[in-house]
Amino acid sequence: MSVRGNSCRKMKTVAKKEFKDLLKEKTFILAIVIQLFIASFSTFLVIGLTSFYDPTALGDVDIEGVNIGVVGTEDDELYKVLIDNNVRTYLYDDFIPAYGDFFDRRIDAIIVTPLGTAGGTDLLNVDIYLPKSEIKATVVSLQLKEPLEEYEQSVRDVRTQRLPGYSPIDFNIIERGRFASSTFFEFVYVALLPLLVFTPAFISGGLIIDFITEEYERKTMDLLLASPASLLEIVSGKALLAILIVPLQSFVWILLLSMNRISVNNSLQILLVVTMIAAVLVFSSTMIAVFFRDRGVAQLLYSLVLIFLFMSSYLFTNSPLNLVSRLSINSITALESWTWTGIYLLLAFVLYVATILVIKNDPDNI
Amino acid sequence: MASWFTIAKWELMRSKLKFDARSIIMLIIALILVIVASYAASQTGMSMNQKIYLVASSQPEVQPIIETDQRFDHMLVDRFEASVYYEYGADMAIIGNNVYLSDTRKAASAGDALENTFIEYRELVLTSYNDVNNTHPVWVTVHDLERPQDFQLTGTEDTIDEISRGYNRTAALENVPGGKEGGSGDGSVRTGSSTISPEDIEALDAMEGKTFFERQTVSTPSNFNPPVPFTAILYAFLFIFPIYFVSQFYSTSLMDERTNRKGELVLIAPLRSRDVVIGKTLPYLVITMLIQAAITLYILKIPSTFADVERILLVLAAILPVILLFFALSFYSAILSRSFKELTFASVFLSVVISGYLFFPAMFANIHAISSISPITLIVRLIEGETVMWNTYIFSTLPFYLVAAAVYAFGTSIFREEDLFTQKSISSKIIDCFEMFLSYRYGSVFFLSIIFIPVVYMTQLMLIVMLFNLPVPYSILAMILLSALAEEIVKSIGIYTLFKRKITDITFKNAIRLSILAGAGFFVGEKAVAVLTLAPIASSAFGTVMTMGALLLIPLLLHITTVIINSLVMYWKGPNAYKYAVVAATIFHSIYNITILREMLL
Repeated sequence: MSVRGNSCRKMKTVAKKEFKDLLKEKTFILAIVIQLFIASFSTFLVIGLTSFYDPTALGDVDIEGVNIGVVGTEDDELYKVLIDNNVRTYLYDDFIPAYGDFFDRRIDAIIVTPLGTAGGTDLLNVDIYLPKSEIKATVVSLQLKEPLEEYEQSVRDVRTQRLPGYSPIDFNIIERGRFASSTFFEFVYVALLPLLVFTPAFISGGLIIDFITEEYERKTMDLLLASPASLLEIVSGKALLAILIVPLQSFVWILLLSMNRISVNNSLQILLVVTMIAAVLVFSSTMIAVFFRDRGVAQLLYSLVLIFLFMSSYLFTNSPLNLVSRLSINSITALESWTWTGIYLLLAFVLYVATILVIKNDPDNI
Repeated sequence: MASWFTIAKWELMRSKLKFDARSIIMLIIALILVIVASYAASQTGMSMNQKIYLVASSQPEVQPIIETDQRFDHMLVDRFEASVYYEYGADMAIIGNNVYLSDTRKAASAGDALENTFIEYRELVLTSYNDVNNTHPVWVTVHDLERPQDFQLTGTEDTIDEISRGYNRTAALENVPGGKEGGSGDGSVRTGSSTISPEDIEALDAMEGKTFFERQTVSTPSNFNPPVPFTAILYAFLFIFPIYFVSQFYSTSLMDERTNRKGELVLIAPLRSRDVVIGKTLPYLVITMLIQAAITLYILKIPSTFADVERILLVLAAILPVILLFFALSFYSAILSRSFKELTFASVFLSVVISGYLFFPAMFANIHAISSISPITLIVRLIEGETVMWNTYIFSTLPFYLVAAAVYAFGTSIFREEDLFTQKSISSKIIDCFEMFLSYRYGSVFFLSIIFIPVVYMTQLMLIVMLFNLPVPYSILAMILLSALAEEIVKSIGIYTLFKRKITDITFKNAIRLSILAGAGFFVGEKAVAVLTLAPIASSAFGTVMTMGALLLIPLLLHITTVIINSLVMYWKGPNAYKYAVVAATIFHSIYNITILREMLL
């Protein structure tokens, strides 16, 4: 027992030393700054996405202020649909005057209505002229999408009757007065949240490589080994620190998200999953670092492994990122989620054993 | 043989040694795994949104529709159970012809998702009928039309953007791709007539399966999407990823020389530090350029005409300054940092910042002229077959070249024993650079201020991107404060160096004299930048903050005054009070800017 306690104490000493170094070099703070930066990127993206997919979110941009020129006649079905949708339209009977007004910025887009009617058999082609390289083009497109779909639907109502055996999907979605764009919701919980809580784990995986290769390249590993600590204890101490700082940072992220009114359920279990994945990454890169000892090679290999793991997690349900998403919005049963948390715990443990084996077989191990 | 060439050869040999058979095999295995996993992932929906909505349904006929979408966790139960599930946690229950949503944000979003799934399924079913005229009767053709942009200052006749796109009113009219009767710009689409390109279902499929790199111009209303240019991000990733990796190796190699004084031999050898730096950089630069050339060829295909070759060369010319900047910053941080950890963080931080600078403007490549501050926008335009004029190239790449050159020059000046092999603090190493510069024959605070102009310019553009998040009055305020801070630091850092290192006596006369020089230098540089590059964004609100100094002679006085405030604080309190001196000057500068801005806006 005393041997075991001793070994733990040595690991703790190494971890403490690394932590002090980390603070001294202010790198830890830099890491936080990086993450803040990524977060501000993400909010930029969120705002961008919301405004693209949910134009009502763009309170400041005056959608009403967009004028659209329609080349056609008053009887055109499309023109009627546009009027019904409160699009501010100006009717032209020819393209050239409309183009003149477009150039002088009196209108922002030109629609040329199709010649045929719903009752006919010809394809109906709508030409839309948008101002190139202007944000207004996006606004106009957004505004036109719904009327166009409505127009398509009205034509289809007539024409799909000619199709043999076709019946439209007939389900009413009864809304409860709440509206949430699925794009935005999914972006936040499927992309943003997992990315933020796992970023510290990605960073720690790279950090441990520096911790270890540095000792080799500075030739200080020999000095450390001359101390009563063994290679295993030294490496474990470093790994311990790299893993422990992960849930701390992820916790801050969850807190920040909650402050932005993005509520996160099951946050303790999420932190547990993140810690397990951090352990998986840290042990993998520990093995890589002990094996190759060269920082450049080790970092490159680690990046590749990381990309591989990331890509693989697209392939199955309850991959770490998916698991965190499902946990955060309560879309998973307790049994299923704990099963998968257990699987990741097991994986981390297996990798720890593998790390011990790699170190035991290391030629320098005393 | 030139001495830098010898160093370059050594560098190549050394890095070859690093990759022994073992690591090459491992890297190849890892690469194969990555490729296989990426391929497999690309076959899926590329989203980790599996089973995020819980659906309880009593209708078996809805099951095939819901199963087309991996987002739904679907349960087929009887009516009663469905209503029980609905009470206890399911996001929606489908009973009869009705879909009941529960009262949460998630459920609302699930309802939206279900609606889209229905639409997609309907398209799928309709497409299976081989009858376009009845299944997809309406087609939308989008044409882009040029017209003068209105966000430039009224009265400006020709803006850079306008010139660079090379159009005017009459020319634009000729380019109109088809009117009511006119011939169509896109051969296959006859406007307003009965024939249209997608004659059969295959053509429709081809249209919907368009690759990411092509722009959609013809579509059905359901597939009609606003021009969100995410392709630009994809390009940016493709081009910038290899740069990250190579610059990692580059900075590691430099750091290697520094640990355990390995590089001492090179420094003792009769070589100028400039040659050593060139020699160590060149192999990595060449390798990166080769990788970029391969990527360009992959995207643009093997060139067949002279114009194609020219386009490829232009793409490479646009990426070169980006590589140089990445390398310059890696080089500098490799010299500054005291450990690998520090180096990793510094390089990650810098990569993130530069990527932000490159990515965000490029997102708006097809939307807004401000996007041309990023060279990636040039690449996007080139790949899409547009022409890029000289001045646009200069506008977006010159800052990169200048900053890279300045950083390399400063870094090389401290590429010497006392800075490389000692545990000097980072700030004293930085001050060393300025000391070296100021002790050259022609070095003076006047030129130092000018050298910093592109750095300040890029910082301020970066700030625009970062502060975009904040609500408008705060973002402008933060912008004013931070850009004033950046300007005050660069104007006074030279004087601080002179005082701190006791190169100049700290006298009242010297403080005033140096302040006038530094302030004037900054003014001259700023004016030059404004004339050269800022015209396209000069009039947006942010641009006003950056450039309003360039209009009158008052700014010259302002720049000098703030530096005088700065140096007088140092004169009275000693150079260690530099921080407070900068804060004082920044506050003064901001107050001035806010006053001016208010007058301009009201």
